[in-house]
Amino acid sequence: MEEQQYAIEMRGICKSFGSVAANNNINLNVKSGEILALLGENGSGKTTLMNMLSGIYKPDSGIILVDGQEVAINSPEDAKKLGIGMVHQHFKLVDVFSAADNIWLGDDKSGLVLKKERYGVIRDMARKFGFDIDPRKKVYNMAVSEKQTLEIVKVLYYGAKIIILDEPTAVLTVQETARLFDVLRRMKAEGHAIIIITHKLNEVLEISDRVAILRKGEYITTVDTSSTNEQQLTEFMVGRKVELNIDRPVVDKTRPLLEIRDLTIKNDEGAVAIDKVNFYIRGGEILGVAGIAGCGQKELCEAIAGLRPIESGMMIHKGDNIVGLPPKAILEKGISMSFIPEDRLGMGLAPSMSVTDNMLLKKYDQARGPFVDRKTGRAEARQVIQELEIVTPSTETPVRRLSGGNVQKVLLGREIKAGPNVIVTAYPVRGLDINSSYAIYDILNRQKKDGVGILFVGEDLDVMIDLCDKIMVLCHGRVMGVVHAHKTSKEELGLMMTGALDLTNKYEDKPAGIARDSRIEETGEVEK
Amino acid sequence: MKNRQPLFHVVKREGASPARQLLAYVAAVALALAVGAVLLAVQGVEPVTFYRQLITMGIPGSRYPWRAVENFIKLFVPLLIVSMALSLAFKMRFWNIGGEGQFIMGAFWAGFAAMKLGESLPRPAMVLVMALCGALGGGLYGVFVAALKVKWGTNETLLTLMLNYIALYFLQYFAETKTDWNFFLDPGSARPKFAKFPASAQMITIPIGPFNLNLSLLIAAALCVLLYIYLNYTKRGYEIAVVGDSPNTARYAGMKVGKIVIRTIFLSAALIGLAGAFQVSSAGILSASVTNDVGWTGIVVAWLAKLNTAGIVVASLLITVLQFGCQTASTTYPSIDANFANLLQGVILFIVLAADFFTRFQLVRTRKEAAK
Repeated sequence: MEEQQYAIEMRGICKSFGSVAANNNINLNVKSGEILALLGENGSGKTTLMNMLSGIYKPDSGIILVDGQEVAINSPEDAKKLGIGMVHQHFKLVDVFSAADNIWLGDDKSGLVLKKERYGVIRDMARKFGFDIDPRKKVYNMAVSEKQTLEIVKVLYYGAKIIILDEPTAVLTVQETARLFDVLRRMKAEGHAIIIITHKLNEVLEISDRVAILRKGEYITTVDTSSTNEQQLTEFMVGRKVELNIDRPVVDKTRPLLEIRDLTIKNDEGAVAIDKVNFYIRGGEILGVAGIAGCGQKELCEAIAGLRPIESGMMIHKGDNIVGLPPKAILEKGISMSFIPEDRLGMGLAPSMSVTDNMLLKKYDQARGPFVDRKTGRAEARQVIQELEIVTPSTETPVRRLSGGNVQKVLLGREIKAGPNVIVTAYPVRGLDINSSYAIYDILNRQKKDGVGILFVGEDLDVMIDLCDKIMVLCHGRVMGVVHAHKTSKEELGLMMTGALDLTNKYEDKPAGIARDSRIEETGEVEK
Repeated sequence: MKNRQPLFHVVKREGASPARQLLAYVAAVALALAVGAVLLAVQGVEPVTFYRQLITMGIPGSRYPWRAVENFIKLFVPLLIVSMALSLAFKMRFWNIGGEGQFIMGAFWAGFAAMKLGESLPRPAMVLVMALCGALGGGLYGVFVAALKVKWGTNETLLTLMLNYIALYFLQYFAETKTDWNFFLDPGSARPKFAKFPASAQMITIPIGPFNLNLSLLIAAALCVLLYIYLNYTKRGYEIAVVGDSPNTARYAGMKVGKIVIRTIFLSAALIGLAGAFQVSSAGILSASVTNDVGWTGIVVAWLAKLNTAGIVVASLLITVLQFGCQTASTTYPSIDANFANLLQGVILFIVLAADFFTRFQLVRTRKEAAK
C-alpha cells in the first residue's frame, strides 16, 4: 500500500544561532488537506522552524521535501515558487497602500504600470476563495482581523498550497477567531496543507488534525488530536506535570484605592480614545480590562501613570485627585504602571542597560549625593532574579539579551519591589508560554493577597475569566459594562467587546462602575 | 532539483571576549596600514621608512624635539576634548554633528575676550575668562538646537550641520572685513589679517626643563576622568543612558526628558567651545581655519572608540599621530601631503567597522549534507 505523499516534510533540521541550538534534529510533516498544529513554549523554536520553510533562515543541516522532492529554499521568493506561504505574527503589509496594491506589490507579472483592473482582479480572486475584501481600502484603515484576512488572501493569490500561520489568533476576538477557523476548515477541504502555531491549547484541540510538539529546540513527538487532551499536550510541552488551573484567591476587599470618574482621553491623533469612563479598583481585587486591541487600553494606562494629559474627568487615589500630577508624583503615591507593548521593550525598560540599572529606573534619584546607588540595585536585582526565577547570566546582562518571559519578569519584579498599592499592568503575559504565564499570575495573586488593587489589561479571555474578580469591557473607548468574572462567559464578553451588547444600563438604579463607598464622597469633595 | 546554495552564511557569534575584540582592532589598524603601504609603494615611496617617520613624528634627531612634542599636544588636546564631548551627546542618541560650528563659536568668543580684555587682565585671569567665554559661546550655540528639538521636535542632524556653515562664514566675515570697528584684525597690516592676541591671552605653559607643558593637556586629562565618572556613576549619567536607550522609558520613569537633553547638549557643546578657546589661546591668534576639522574627526574618533572613554583617548592619540606624523613625514616626500593622513584615517575607519562585524558575526561554510 502506497503511503500518501506529504505536502511538506522536514527531516533532521538543525539550526543554531551562535552556540544556541534553536532547532535540533526536527522532523515534521503535513499532508495536503490537513491542519497541523505546532505547539511549544516560548523559545522552543517554532518560529525559527517555520522561517526556514518560508525562506527567511536556512537550516544548518537537514533536508526539506515538498511533494516528495528535495528542495533548497534560499529566499522567500523560492518559498513562494514552491507554493509555501506564511502569515507572520507581525503582519508584513505596507500601511499606506491599498489592499490590492499590497498583493500586487510582490507579483512579478504585474508589470511597471499600475492598472485600474487590478482592483477587479483581486476582488474576484478573493471572492473565489470566499473572502470579502475591499481592494481599495488602505491598510491603515483596516481592523486587525481585516489585515489578517488580507495576508491570507495574499498568500492564496500566489498559489500557496502550504499555508503557515504564526499565532494568528493572538490578536483576534472570540468571534473573529471562530471566523478564521471556518476559513481554515474550508481551505483544508480544498486540499491545502496548513500549519498553525499557537499557544492556546483549546484552539489546538478545536482546529487541528495532528499536533507536533517542540520543547527547547528539540522535537518531542507528533500526536493525533483526537487521541490527546490539554493535560497531555502540556506535559509534552513543558516536560513535566503542570497544574492547569489558575488560582483566584478570595481576599477581603478594602475600599476603592483608585477611582476613575467620567474620564475622557484623546489619543495621539486627537480622536477620543477613552470616552467618559467610570470604574474603580479596590484593594485585594483584580479588575480585568477586556477589549479589542487599540480600543483605549494604552491611553488609559498612560493617563493613570500621568504620561498622557486627560481631557476631562477625575482620577482619585485614596481620596486625592491625581489628575495633572507629574509621573514622578504618581509613582510616589504607590501607583505602578507596567505596559508590555508589542515589541515588549518599548516602555518601562531600557533594553541595552543591565538588569541592575533597570531595577534602579524609578528610584535612581532617591540615593543621596550625586551618584547612582548600584550596590542597592544589584542586591535588588539578585533578589528579584531569585524570587521570580529569572534566567540571566548575571545582574549586569543587558535586558535586551534575555528572553521574553524573563524580560517581563524583570519589569514586574521591579514594579512589585517598589511596594505599590495599585498595580496597572497591561499584557503582562503577552507572548509568554504557559510556564512563564503562570509564574506571572502567581506574582499578581500574591500582590492581591497583600491588599494591592490590580488593573489587569489582558487579551486572553479564558485567563481573565479565571484570574480576575471583575472584568470591565471596553469598546471604542466606552465601557460596555463591568461583569463578575465567575458569572460571565467568553461569548458574553466577546459580544460586549464588539459593542453588540451594552450592560452599562442593566441596573438603572446602580450605574456600573461608580463606587459607593469611595472616600472622596466622605470628604465631600465631589461637586457637580 | 537544483541545489544552488550560497557558499557561506552569516552566523551570530556568542559574546566575543574583550581580548578577541582588541585583537581584531589591532589587526584592523595593521591591515589599514598595509593598504596604505601599497598606495605608498605605488607612488614610489618606501613604506617602511615613511611609516617609521610617521610614527616617530620626526622627533628623534630633530634639533628641537621638545617643540615637536608641544605641537603634537596642540593638535591632540582639541581632538580629545571634542571627541569626549561628542560621545556625551551620542550616548544620548543626539546626533550632534555641529562640532565644527560649536568649536568656531568657542574660539571666536574666546578671541573676542582676548582682544577686548587682553590688555587689562593678568594672564591666569585672562585665560580663565577666555575659557569661560569659549564654553559659553559653544554651549549656547549647541543648546539652541537642543531647545528647538525639545520644543518642536526638529531634526538635530540637519540643524547642527547647517549651523556649522553659519559659524564658519561668520568667522570668515571678521577675517576678511577690513574696517575701523573690526578689532580682530591687525591694524598695522593693509590686508585683512587677524591680529596676534596680547601676551596675557596666551595659554599658560608649565616649563619642565626645555619642554613647556601646555596646561590644556592637564585640563583635558582631568576632563576625561571627570566625564568618565559623570557618565558611568552619576545620576545625570544614568539619565543620559536611559534617554538614549528609550525616551519613552525615561518619561515613564518620571524623568524630565527635555531638561536632560538641554542640559546634556549644553555640556557637550560647551566642552567643544572650551576646546576652541584652548586652541586659539595656545595658538595666540585667531584663524579662519581654526578648527582643523576636529568637529568631523571627533565624530570618527567617538565611533571608533564606541563612545568608550578610554577608547577615545587611544583613538584620538592614534589619529593625531597619523595626522601629525603625515605632516612631518611629508616634508621629506614631495609626492605625499597631509591628505594622506585623511585617506589612511578613512581606510582605518572602514576596516575597523568591518572587523567589528567579524567580532559579532562569523561566516560559516554551508554544510552540504547532514542528516538523512
